[in-house]
Amino acid sequence: MDPILKIDCVTKRFGGLMALAEVEYEVRRGEILGLIGPNGAGKTTMFNCIAGIYEPTSGQVVFSPEPGKNIVTNGFKSEKVTKLGIARTFQNIRLFNDLTVLDNVRLGCHCRTSSNFFGAVLRFAAQQREEQKIIDSSMHWLEFVGLGKNALSDASSLSYGNQRRLEIARALATEPKLIMLDEPAAGMNPQETQMLIKLIRAIVAEGITVVLIEHDMKLVMTICERLVVLDHGILIAEGSPKSIRENPMVIEAYLGRGAA
Amino acid sequence: MQRKLFFVFLIAALAYPLMPLSSDYVLHVMTLIMVYMVLAMGLNIVPGFCGLLDLGYVGFFGIGAYTSGLLTVHYGMSFWLIVPLAAANGAMWGVLLGAPTLRLTGDYFAIVTFGFSELVVLFLTNEIWLTRGPLGLPGIEPVSLDLSFLNPDWFWYFDGEPPYFYLAIFLVAAVYFLLKRVEDSRLGRAWFAIREDPMAAASCGVNILNYKVIAFAISAAIGAVGGSFYARWYLFLSPDMFKFWESFLVLCMVVLGGLGNLRGALFGAVIMVSMGEVLREILPALGLPPEVRFLVYGLLMVLIMRFKPAGFFPAIASSGKTNPMLVALEKRICETHGGASGSDS
Repeated sequence: MDPILKIDCVTKRFGGLMALAEVEYEVRRGEILGLIGPNGAGKTTMFNCIAGIYEPTSGQVVFSPEPGKNIVTNGFKSEKVTKLGIARTFQNIRLFNDLTVLDNVRLGCHCRTSSNFFGAVLRFAAQQREEQKIIDSSMHWLEFVGLGKNALSDASSLSYGNQRRLEIARALATEPKLIMLDEPAAGMNPQETQMLIKLIRAIVAEGITVVLIEHDMKLVMTICERLVVLDHGILIAEGSPKSIRENPMVIEAYLGRGAA
Repeated sequence: MQRKLFFVFLIAALAYPLMPLSSDYVLHVMTLIMVYMVLAMGLNIVPGFCGLLDLGYVGFFGIGAYTSGLLTVHYGMSFWLIVPLAAANGAMWGVLLGAPTLRLTGDYFAIVTFGFSELVVLFLTNEIWLTRGPLGLPGIEPVSLDLSFLNPDWFWYFDGEPPYFYLAIFLVAAVYFLLKRVEDSRLGRAWFAIREDPMAAASCGVNILNYKVIAFAISAAIGAVGGSFYARWYLFLSPDMFKFWESFLVLCMVVLGGLGNLRGALFGAVIMVSMGEVLREILPALGLPPEVRFLVYGLLMVLIMRFKPAGFFPAIASSGKTNPMLVALEKRICETHGGASGSDS
């Protein structure tokens, strides 16, 4: 199967700290890949290197939005990466709190629309059509994550679990090929987690590849087809959930030496 | 109710110059308020919409005023032609200053803008060949309205305060209308996103630097439009009209009214200018020097920060709620979700 994303020997150093050391793995088109590891393993750093917030110290991130089209995204800024088709959510929710739920998702549509200052002031027919399109597709994604009825309330008034889902809706509104979810289940109760599992499956059904960082092992083992395990910036294991569960290196990383 | 009150107020204002008891002084102050309204709305874009502290707004006001004054004195250009030219000149300097410096964040950017406004004053003071320096620029012609191509008799000079008063109302209304529309658009939303969380904005595909430069340019253009009106109304310019404290005054208006809220900016202009006029009467009567008014402004700011930290009209997530598309959407949501819209269970 052809990879949608290839992490090729990526290293990220912060001064003396080696956050990622020659990490190498692939994300296959249309799968759900779990990125796991103990705290401080470099999972979020990995996301940031892909999303253009950090530039890898060495190595390449190769994204192929369509089969046969490979783009090295090293050094691209976030907005360019988003435009290419990689969306992400944040570990510590980053919503636009003073804006409405709808406005948050409308901002996700930003990179697929083009109206400018003159369109805003003169409100040409084309601009109005685009605005209507933005509202319609925003509402589509809000209904998709189950927040349709909250569209016009403030983002900050949502419950924690709903804020996480709003962040997913905003990421989906950028029309990505690949979505990276950073601990989507953190702070959710079991019921919300069940809904999240359904949501992630629905996202994959839309033809979007999912990579997720998660500490909730039950969730990871349930939905991920493959797992990549990082520990201290080093890739220690890769494979099916079953093989990972039995991997002595992984058990050692999580529970310490001797636990295996 | 609010709307009705607004219209009553507007009609009263429009009718005021026609009343037999109207005084030139009151008209002058009201026109001055409106000049500051334009400036406050223009400045509001940068700290209010984008969340960047701009301490040098008066620089653009000065650029606009001198553009207008010099074009009038040397070329006798019509005001109506000068306004777009001044706006373009302001926007150009906004881009020239903004493009390299908007990469800076927070305090560093504020320092750069502050330096810029000082630079403008120094330029106006020292480039005597162009601006006559500290001697000032007298003899600027008043605005005239030339419609003689329609009817040979239709040519008016703006004589006295009333015509300027109406022109200022038109200017305020035009800037308000323009910014209201921008606020509720893809552009406005991108600005708000930058204000709320730059990292999340970038991950939505907003090119942060570009949008900051656009904001800065539009803000500068509006400042320059205010300046070009001011020059043709005051009919005299001198570099010390564009000192730093003017920037501070406009910033006070924006903060007092509520950062990011256009109505707040209008309200702030009314309060600050009227207070300045009142203090000008009161302070000498108390035997205090006129500079004490800055202390009063400072005190006012402290009180605002203590009791109304978001200003009198806090920016709320209500931008464009009257937009017909959103009204239609609200109805649709009520229909599909049984009226329970807005509350989170």
